[in-house]
Amino acid sequence: MRKDLVFGMAGSGGDGIVSAGDSLLQAASAEGYHGVMTKSFGSQIRGGESSCRVRISTEPIPNPGGNLDVAVALNWEDFLKFGAELPVSGNTVVIYEAATGIAENQIPLVGVTPLQVIAVPIAAMAKETAGTERAKNTVVLGLIAGWFGIGGQAVMVGIKKKLAKKGEELVAANQRAFDAGVAFAKEHPLKSDMTVMPSGNKGAVKLLTDGNDMAAAAALFAGCQFFGGYPITPSTEIMQFFTNHVWKYGGAVLQAEDEIAGIGAAVGASFAGKKAMTATSGPGLSLKSEMMGLASIAELPLVIVDVQRGGPSTGLPTKTEQSDLFAAAFSAHGDVIRPVLAPTSVADTFRVVVEAFNIAERYQTPVIVLSDQEISQRKETMDPIDTTQFKIEERLRPTAADLQDYKRFRITENGISPISHPGMPGGAYLAAGIEHNETGAPTNSGSVHQRMNDKRTRKFDPLLNRQDLFEITGNPDAPLALVAWGSVAGVCREALQMAQAEGLNVKLMVPYLLYPVAEATYNRFFASVQKGLVVEQSHLAQTFKVLRMHLDLPKGLKSLARSGANPFLPGEIVEALHHLLAELQRSHEGKLQPQE
Amino acid sequence: MSAICEYQAKDYKSDLKPIWCPGCGDYSVVQGIYRALAAIGRPPHEIAFISGIGCSSRIPGYTTAYGFNTVHGRALPIAQGIKLANPDLLVLAAGGDGDGFSIGGGHIAHLIRRNIDITYIVMDNQIYGLTKGQLSPTSQKGRITVTSQHGSLEEPVNPLLYTLAYGAGFVAQASPTDLASMASIIEEAIRYPGFAFVNIQSPCVTYGEEAQQIKGLKAISENLSTLGHNPADRLAAMDLAQQYGRKLHLGVFYRNPEPAPTYDGLIRERQAALSKGAIPRERILDLFIKK
Amino acid sequence: MTTRGIDFKALSLKDALDLAVLIEQEAKDRYEEFAAQMDQHRTPEAAKFFRFMALNEAKHGEELAARRATLFGAAPVAVTPAMIFDIEAPDYDAARAFMSPRKAMEAALASEVKAHAFFMAALPSIQDQGVKLLFQELSGEEVQHQDLVKAELAKLPPDSGLSDEDFVDEPAAQ
Repeated sequence: MRKDLVFGMAGSGGDGIVSAGDSLLQAASAEGYHGVMTKSFGSQIRGGESSCRVRISTEPIPNPGGNLDVAVALNWEDFLKFGAELPVSGNTVVIYEAATGIAENQIPLVGVTPLQVIAVPIAAMAKETAGTERAKNTVVLGLIAGWFGIGGQAVMVGIKKKLAKKGEELVAANQRAFDAGVAFAKEHPLKSDMTVMPSGNKGAVKLLTDGNDMAAAAALFAGCQFFGGYPITPSTEIMQFFTNHVWKYGGAVLQAEDEIAGIGAAVGASFAGKKAMTATSGPGLSLKSEMMGLASIAELPLVIVDVQRGGPSTGLPTKTEQSDLFAAAFSAHGDVIRPVLAPTSVADTFRVVVEAFNIAERYQTPVIVLSDQEISQRKETMDPIDTTQFKIEERLRPTAADLQDYKRFRITENGISPISHPGMPGGAYLAAGIEHNETGAPTNSGSVHQRMNDKRTRKFDPLLNRQDLFEITGNPDAPLALVAWGSVAGVCREALQMAQAEGLNVKLMVPYLLYPVAEATYNRFFASVQKGLVVEQSHLAQTFKVLRMHLDLPKGLKSLARSGANPFLPGEIVEALHHLLAELQRSHEGKLQPQE
Repeated sequence: MSAICEYQAKDYKSDLKPIWCPGCGDYSVVQGIYRALAAIGRPPHEIAFISGIGCSSRIPGYTTAYGFNTVHGRALPIAQGIKLANPDLLVLAAGGDGDGFSIGGGHIAHLIRRNIDITYIVMDNQIYGLTKGQLSPTSQKGRITVTSQHGSLEEPVNPLLYTLAYGAGFVAQASPTDLASMASIIEEAIRYPGFAFVNIQSPCVTYGEEAQQIKGLKAISENLSTLGHNPADRLAAMDLAQQYGRKLHLGVFYRNPEPAPTYDGLIRERQAALSKGAIPRERILDLFIKK
Repeated sequence: MTTRGIDFKALSLKDALDLAVLIEQEAKDRYEEFAAQMDQHRTPEAAKFFRFMALNEAKHGEELAARRATLFGAAPVAVTPAMIFDIEAPDYDAARAFMSPRKAMEAALASEVKAHAFFMAALPSIQDQGVKLLFQELSGEEVQHQDLVKAELAKLPPDSGLSDEDFVDEPAAQ
C-alpha cells in the first residue's frame, strides 16, 4: 500500500489524456485524497503532444512530484517529447500502448530499467468495448482503478455527469471501456502492490481549482472592481473568470485592444477610485512597463499578475519558468520600487493576491504577483480556506480637514498621502506621469524631484519588516540552507523533509515577497549558513543575482539554476545538499590541519 | 435666451499657468472647453479630464476638473477605464495629432466600436511641437521639417475620415478662427450620448507654417451649416471629410440621429441583471467546492 | 471676426448696447489673457501694454453698460457671447513669445481697425435710428482707439528693423 502516487501520462491531443487526468483528479478528490495535476503541451493548438502529471496522496501535497511512479505512454514519440517533465526511474511502472509494436524489453527509455513494463492493447480494447479508439482514455482510467485502487466507480460517476447530455449509449460504451481496463489490471497483477491507502477522509469538503481561477477569485474577494486585460497564455483564464463573475459585484471587465490598453484601463479605474487589476505573461509584461511607471509616479494602486512562461519573447508559451523576476522588479525606467510577490501553490495564490491588493492600496502602488505556468494551470485539491482571517485594506481617503487645503501628494512622515478620486468634492487634482509638487502641479525642479523620490521610496519601509511574507522551516541554526520561491518552493519543501529524514541539518526560506529585498530578514536567515543553494528555474539565476545585488551572501551559498520546462526533482536537491555537506566537512577537516 | 447656469466659464479655470507659447491655438481650445463645460453645468469634481503627452496634453491641468496627464498616446485607454469604473463621471479626453493618430493610433477605433461615452478632443497642429518641430501623422506630404529635411514622403492621416469610417456617432471640427462655434461644438459633443470626436485645427505658432496660422485657416474655412450639410448624412459627411487638409470645414460632420447604446450603459444593465444571484464576496471560494 | 444669429435689420437699441458691451468684454478678456501669456513667458513690456489695453476696453465697456442701465434698467439680455467672436479682440495667434512693445501695439492696432470695419460693415443694414447713431459713435471710437495706440507707438524709439526672433534662444525641447 502507498500513501502517495505520481502518474505521468502522455499522448497526442486526440488521445484525451489530459481529460483522463482531470477525471482521475476529480475522482480522487471525491474520495477524499489530496491531488495535484499539471498539464504540459506541445505548440500545436490541436493534435500536438499533450501530457499531464497527477499526484495523489493521503497527505497534503507540496508539489506535483519528482520521478513518476506510474508512466502511461499512448505512443512513445509524444511521451519522449516531454523529456525531464516526465522522468522515469527504477521505481516506475511503465504502461504503454501495445499497438506501438515495441517489445517490453525494448522501450525507448535510455539508461533506466523501470520497475515493471507492461504493454496493454489499449486502442484495441477501446475499439472492442466502445466501438471507437477515442475511448482509450477511459480504458486507461480503468487500468489505473484496477492496479492502483484510485478512482474506482467515482471516475465513472464523473464521466456520467460529463456525458449525461450526450445520451445513454455513450455512457454505456464508456462504462464498458472502463470495466475492460479494470478487468485487464485484475488479470495482470503488478509484481508489487501499488494500491493507494484509503484516504480516510471520504466526503470531506474540498476545494478543487487552478492558480488562475484562484487568482481571480482572490481579487474579487479583495474587492477588485475592474479588470482590464488582453488574451495571453498562460494567464488568460484570469480574465475569463472575471467576465463570468465581476458584474455580480458591481464591477466591470474589459478585454482591451492590446496589453497597453488593458493595463491603461486598469490604471484609469484605479484613478476613478476602484480597486483594479490586470494579468498577463512575459511579452505582455514588457508592453505594460511604461504604464507601471505611470502608476508608480501617480501613486495609483494596481495589481498586475504576471504568469511566467519561458522567455524571452514568445519563448515557450506553454511551459513554466522563473525568468521574469528582473522584469518584474526592474522594468520601467526611473528610480522606483515596485513590490513583487509570488505564490507557491494554488492554495496560497489566494493569500498572495489578497496581500497584493492590500499592499497596493496601502502604499498606493502597482504590485506584481509573479505566478508561473505551473501554478496557474495546475489543479489542486485543498482544504476550505477561512476567508474571515483575511483583513481587506482600503486606500487612505482624505478627511474633511484634509480637503480644506487638499494636496494630493502631500509629503507626509510615512510617505503616504490621502488620495481622492473623481466625484469627491474638494478633492480635484492633476494626476500626472510628469514629476509634480505636492498639489500635483508639474515641475522640473531637482529639489522637488528629490523630495518626491524620497517620499515614494520611504513609504515602503514597513514592508521590509513583514516577517509573515517569508516562510522559514527546518532548524533555524542549520549550516545548510535552501532558498526557493514560486512553484520551485514546493519541490524544496519536499526536499527539506527528505533531507531531514536523512539526518541533514538544513533549513529552507521561501520568500513570498521578492522585491523590495528584505535585507535584514535574509541576513538573519543567512547568519548560520555556511553552504546552501538558491534553487530556481532561470537560466541566468535571476534570484541569486538579485539577492547578491542587495546582500553580502555567505560564500558557500551557490546557485542551482536551470532553464524553464526542466523541473527540479526533490531527490536531486537532496543529493546536492549531501555534496555541500561533504564539502563543508572537508573544509572543516582542512582547517583542523596544523598550518606548518 | 441666456441660460441660467450654476457654473460660469471661470469656475473651470485652474490657477495653473499654461506653458504654451503665446499665440498658440490651444489657448483658445481651453477657453472653448471652459465655455462648453459652463453651458453643461456639471460641477468640476464630477469631471475627469484625461490627456496623453504633448503640448496640448497639458490641458487638463488648466481646468478645475480631476485631471490626468498620462503617457504618450494613452489618453483613451485610461479614459475608458475611468468611464467603465464610474459611468456617472463626465469623461473628456484630449491630446495632439501625434498622440491620437501616431503613437496611440490603435486605440480610437476600439473606443468608437465600443461606443464608450467619452468626448475626445484632438488639437491637430500637423507638427510635433514639444520635441521641436518633427513630422506628425497629419503633416501634409512634402512638408519640410527637421525629420523630413527634403520633404515628407508620406500621405497624412485624415482624422475625420478615419473616425467616420470607424463608425463614430459624432464627428465634428472646430478651430480658433471661431471660438464661439468651437465652444458650442464641444458642448454638443459632450451632450452626445456616446463616443464623440472633435478635431480642432489649432495652429502651432512656433513650428507651424504660415498657411496654418489663423489668417491662413480663415482663408480656407467654410461653415458646414452654411454649406447646407445635413449632419445626419454619414456618406455626405465622409465626402466632405475627404477635403481635410485642403478645406477647413467647421461644424458637425456627423451626428447619429439614433445614437446606439453605450458600453457604459450596457455595463450598468448587466450589473443590475446579474447582481441578484451573487454569492457574497467572502464566500466566493464556494465556487470551487467539488462534491 | 464673426457674428452668429444677429439680424442687424431688426437690432433694437437695447440689444445693440448689450452687443457693444459684449464686444468690449471679449476684447478685455483677450487682452488680459495675452497679458498673462506675456507674464508667463517673460515678456513684461508687452504684458504691460496688453494690460493697458484691457483697462481701456474695460472702461469703455463700463460706460456702455451704464448707458444701457440708464435707458433700459434690468430688462433681460437677449444677446449672448456665443453670437460674436473676435470683433475687437485680437486673433488668438497675434501673441508671440518675446514680442516687442511695437509688435504688441501693432497687434492691438490691427484689432481696432478690425472693429472699426465691423461697425462700418453693419451700418448699411441697420434700420433703427438709435442703433445707427450708436454704431456710428462706436466706429468713431474705434478710430479714437487707433489714435490712442498710434500715440503709444509714437512714444517708442524708431523701429530698428530687427526682428525679436533674431535675438532669442531656440525653444527648449520637452
